Amino acid sequence: MKTSKFKLLVFLSVLGFSSFAQNLDEIIAKHIEAIGGKQNWEKLKAMRTESTMKAQGADIKFISVSVDKKATRQDIFVMGMNGYNIINNSEGWNFAPWQGQTKPEAMTADDVKNAQTDLYIQDEFITYKELGKSIDYFGMDDIDGTECHKIKMTDKNGKETTFYIDPATYYVIKRTSKTEANGQVNENSIFFSDYKKTDFGLVIPMSSSGGWSETGITKVEINPVIDESIFKVSK
Amino acid sequence: MKNILISLFVLSTFSFFAQNAVNSAMFGTMQTRQLGPGTMSGRITAIQGVNNDDGKTLYIGTGGGGVWKSTNAGASYKSVFDKYCQSIGAIAIDQKNPKTVYVGTGESNMRNSVSIGNGLYKSKDGGDNWKKIGLDSTEHISRIVIDPNNSDIIYVAVPGPLWSNSKHRGIYRSSNAGDTWEKLFYIDDQTGCAELLIDPTNPSILFASMWQFRRQPFSFNSGGKGSGLYKSTDAGKTWREIKSGLPEKPFGRIAMNLAPSDPKQMVAIVESTKTGLYISSDGGETWKNQSATMNTCARPFYFSTIVIDPKDPKRVYRPAFQFAYSSDGGYSFTEASSDGGWVHSDMHALWINPSNTNVMYVGTDGGVYLSIDRGVTWQFNHGLPVGQFYHVSIDNKEPYNVYGGLQDNGSWTAPSAAPGGIGNGHWSRVGGGDGFWTVPDVDGKTLYSEYQGGNMARVDMITLKQEGIQPQKTAKDEKLRWNWNTPIVTGANNPKNLYVGAQYLYKSTDQGRNWKRISDDLTTNDKNKQKQEDSGGLSEDNTSAENHCTIFTIAESSLDENLIWAGTDDGNLQVTTDAGKTWTNVSANVAKCGVASQAWVSSIQPSVFDKQTVYVTFENHMYGDMHTYLAKSTDLGKTWKRINHKDFTGFAHKIKEDLVNPNLLFLGTEMGLFATLDGGENWFRMKNNIPEYLMTRDIQIHPKTHDLIIASHGRGIFILDDIRPIRNLTNEIWDQEVYIFPTPDITLNNGKFGWGGPDVSGGWYAGNPPSIPSFDYFFKQRLNSGKVSLEIYDDKGTLLQTMPGTIRRGINKITWNLRGTPPKVAAGSLKMDGAGFTAPMVLPGVYTFKLKVKDKEYVSKVNCIHDAENKNLNLEDRKLVYEKAMQIQKLYNAVNASIDTISNYQAILKADSVAYSKKKHAIAFYDDLQKIKAELMGTKKTSIFADEKRLREKVSELYGNFCWMEAAPNATQLEAIEDLEKDYKTQALALNKVVVKHLPKNPEIKLKKEIK
Repeated sequence: MKTSKFKLLVFLSVLGFSSFAQNLDEIIAKHIEAIGGKQNWEKLKAMRTESTMKAQGADIKFISVSVDKKATRQDIFVMGMNGYNIINNSEGWNFAPWQGQTKPEAMTADDVKNAQTDLYIQDEFITYKELGKSIDYFGMDDIDGTECHKIKMTDKNGKETTFYIDPATYYVIKRTSKTEANGQVNENSIFFSDYKKTDFGLVIPMSSSGGWSETGITKVEINPVIDESIFKVSK
Repeated sequence: MKNILISLFVLSTFSFFAQNAVNSAMFGTMQTRQLGPGTMSGRITAIQGVNNDDGKTLYIGTGGGGVWKSTNAGASYKSVFDKYCQSIGAIAIDQKNPKTVYVGTGESNMRNSVSIGNGLYKSKDGGDNWKKIGLDSTEHISRIVIDPNNSDIIYVAVPGPLWSNSKHRGIYRSSNAGDTWEKLFYIDDQTGCAELLIDPTNPSILFASMWQFRRQPFSFNSGGKGSGLYKSTDAGKTWREIKSGLPEKPFGRIAMNLAPSDPKQMVAIVESTKTGLYISSDGGETWKNQSATMNTCARPFYFSTIVIDPKDPKRVYRPAFQFAYSSDGGYSFTEASSDGGWVHSDMHALWINPSNTNVMYVGTDGGVYLSIDRGVTWQFNHGLPVGQFYHVSIDNKEPYNVYGGLQDNGSWTAPSAAPGGIGNGHWSRVGGGDGFWTVPDVDGKTLYSEYQGGNMARVDMITLKQEGIQPQKTAKDEKLRWNWNTPIVTGANNPKNLYVGAQYLYKSTDQGRNWKRISDDLTTNDKNKQKQEDSGGLSEDNTSAENHCTIFTIAESSLDENLIWAGTDDGNLQVTTDAGKTWTNVSANVAKCGVASQAWVSSIQPSVFDKQTVYVTFENHMYGDMHTYLAKSTDLGKTWKRINHKDFTGFAHKIKEDLVNPNLLFLGTEMGLFATLDGGENWFRMKNNIPEYLMTRDIQIHPKTHDLIIASHGRGIFILDDIRPIRNLTNEIWDQEVYIFPTPDITLNNGKFGWGGPDVSGGWYAGNPPSIPSFDYFFKQRLNSGKVSLEIYDDKGTLLQTMPGTIRRGINKITWNLRGTPPKVAAGSLKMDGAGFTAPMVLPGVYTFKLKVKDKEYVSKVNCIHDAENKNLNLEDRKLVYEKAMQIQKLYNAVNASIDTISNYQAILKADSVAYSKKKHAIAFYDDLQKIKAELMGTKKTSIFADEKRLREKVSELYGNFCWMEAAPNATQLEAIEDLEKDYKTQALALNKVVVKHLPKNPEIKLKKEIK
């Protein structure tokens, strides 16, 4: 009798797990479809965007250039100053003159290593398996008045990112990342909106906000020709 | 006129909910400010830490404030349980996988005001997400034990319900990490498990302290035949009662523990007719009585924690009324030192870091303290805002103040806003004991406060000198019966009327100097419920907490001072229309609508719109009935309609009617804050930055600021600033895709406060209300594609600023900073220049808002008015300041244009650096340009701490001064503008000369037409 009960429990557990897994797979599939489909995203090898952040009526401009799995660079133009972040497969630099820096600062080897997964520019729900990330589903949660699917992704280093997917559109409308560095736990959230179809059929959010400011993308180039020397620090 | 407005409200919202489901998310942009404070905190019921991370990760369970997590050893805390029941009984961390955490809801410190839980929860990601995993009906959970060798085996000690018999008691076990549960040990429906221990060296050995207990509204009993100390050696399959060496039964509550480093060494405090401390050195088989101080053994039902050091079996800690420690296995105890400051009494939880046993955290009735010297001295953690308010009052000052009394933490006040926001240091204590009603007098100088049992005083707000004002028994009175939480109320119609209630209602019109008894006994006066001197069970415990047959609620109608309602703790609801000459008991009428007859009358809201109408909350939880009782009468109590809703949770504490919209009501319960926009037909749970199951004890609405002020019993005070968007949401608005709310007039100033620097008191901090009214708009649905922006124009049609807008469903808010677009800063700067982030404040006038939603445009106006209260800046001066600021902005732009010109020339000259280095004329031109540039802006110093002021920095500084100026400029400030203009003219001429001199010698630049 005990054995039968045990088998029944196991069966029910497996059944429960399967239906749960199927549900999550379905959400992810719909999300990928909504943002242009896996095939299109797999064609994405490089991207260049220009964007503007508005804060207190002032503009801060960004130019981001990324080559899939190889390198990324973001230039920031603020108050007449130009700074940047660069990460490639072996090195990384930050230059923030507004913080009083007079020259670029090299990132630590550990930071560069941990940032390698960030060089994957295809949608995170397309690459998570390849990167060995695990995902968990936590039901629905209210984001900006919309009940969203809540999905947490955890990478091999334990870094956690939570996505909130609007069931009406299957777009991600909020992404929260939690990082632990130098003994501190930091949590950052970005809200996404104004999804638009771009070249190759990729649907991306043209607007993002992080609380006190909003950043709008003004130009998107998919797979542009990129001079990879920009991923080396200026001498 | 007022009636017409009310009718309009009623008509416009009549069919509101027939078509639409309103919920809190619609008002999600309206976020409360949690005022705290963290300075006196509240009751802590459980502390657990992760063993192997240097003691940095802590989880704190509270009596009414949920679970808080620290990842920095208590320097700061974050609430991680806001969506669930806020009463916490136990926490356990799976130390093999410390991201797995269990929380048992329902505190088990069984005092009169203890709340209830709704089951056991589990997180597998360190508290980010929780799942309920059963034991829903247990109401109280005292301990969760994880088998140290097998994380799938979980034991849960369940005292069970306090107010009723229940089969949901005893010890439960899960063998699959909480997926399913079995009841492992059960005595009877009055006896639960108070403590459960596991032998870490042999997890098959368990010890259980079983406890028979019961509260009624008017008495408490700890002890009975069910209580006993039990041992199991087969992982809970069988249990054996241990008696050897213990006192004669019956027992009450037993606090006990074992030494993790030598589990045969045990200590126990056994409540009995001879309550005492007992020690065992043979694994609990036999016990020996030890002499002990009163502090060590006092109040065993409430102080149930005793802990042995993880490494030293002789070091025993007893957190109780005071903190005591023993270094000889419990033979003698020493009380902790007060060096370093007072440590709050009444302790319930202790966690010792097993990796460094010098470090420990104790949980008291007033927060968490840290010791790094084995409990000898203690330091307070200031960042836990878990105070347990009973009531909140407000005054009419600007900014207004909040006043309230807290469980075991006296009475306090704080401003609703202050320079820099509200920090712990803004809170002031105005009374001691357990605090309850704390009410300001209309004179602005006096307040009334009390401690338990009706001990009330008139307090001078400045000196805090107190005069006792409690009415005394006279020859014609019976012994006065004062509730633990005695009502002190000022009149809603005539605020000079002061009311207090024993079993009789008293009224004073001279601040409590003289009292007039204005009623006979308004209670049932049931003598069987008045035997408090026998209360406590085995340990006498009579602190006025069980006083009964008393008046609990008083409310004077805001429309008529002769119309007074009084409610009692034993089910009577009484009303007078002649200021107390005659009273009518309407409780029988209430019972007809389904309210339990003996229920406490927890709050009364005479309608502010209609004298005949009254809303009343009742609560019956002390009879085991947790239903939410809210009823309404429209005929002065003759007939009643019960108002109920499927979403209600928790017994009801407070009903509050809006001051303007008669259909807007707020209901506070033991498990949530609810609102209705249609007079009570449909309700929604409010989640506006407040826990979803907030223990909501009291609610006020400020008549001037339109703020909703919420007193919680576990999370302090919350303020939802300016609820007009909720108040004004009518059906007409709701049906529109986009609606623009009228923006109230905006007074032009830099806010009400300056800033004197960081709040050095540390700990909890709440911001101020917004200093500028926001532009509010409503979206029926979230905007899934397209942009939203707000453009602001002046009366000439000049675009002043464009701002991004939010796209959420419901109310959206954009705050315009009342300024134009800041000037551009020339490229090549070495430091941030503040001028690039600011512009002068606009002048008084009407401004146009254009909300652009995709391809549609919605237009509204706002009137910006001169701040007439600012006597330092008259309207003429304001115009002068604006004009001068714009003059400096023009100068700033010119300076930046010259810098840009120089930079462009230099860029071309150096475009080919090799060629440049060979061209003498180019180098000379470049260097001369650089000299001018070095006069126009700082070019050498990059550090924010290095002061290199050149022309642009000087202009920028003066510009900033004028942009934020709120007084007439002085002569030197005006003169400085002219001086800087002259300086610029000099440099512009110099630049011109350099260009004229060098340009002909650098022909390649002539081709660059774009350079000016």
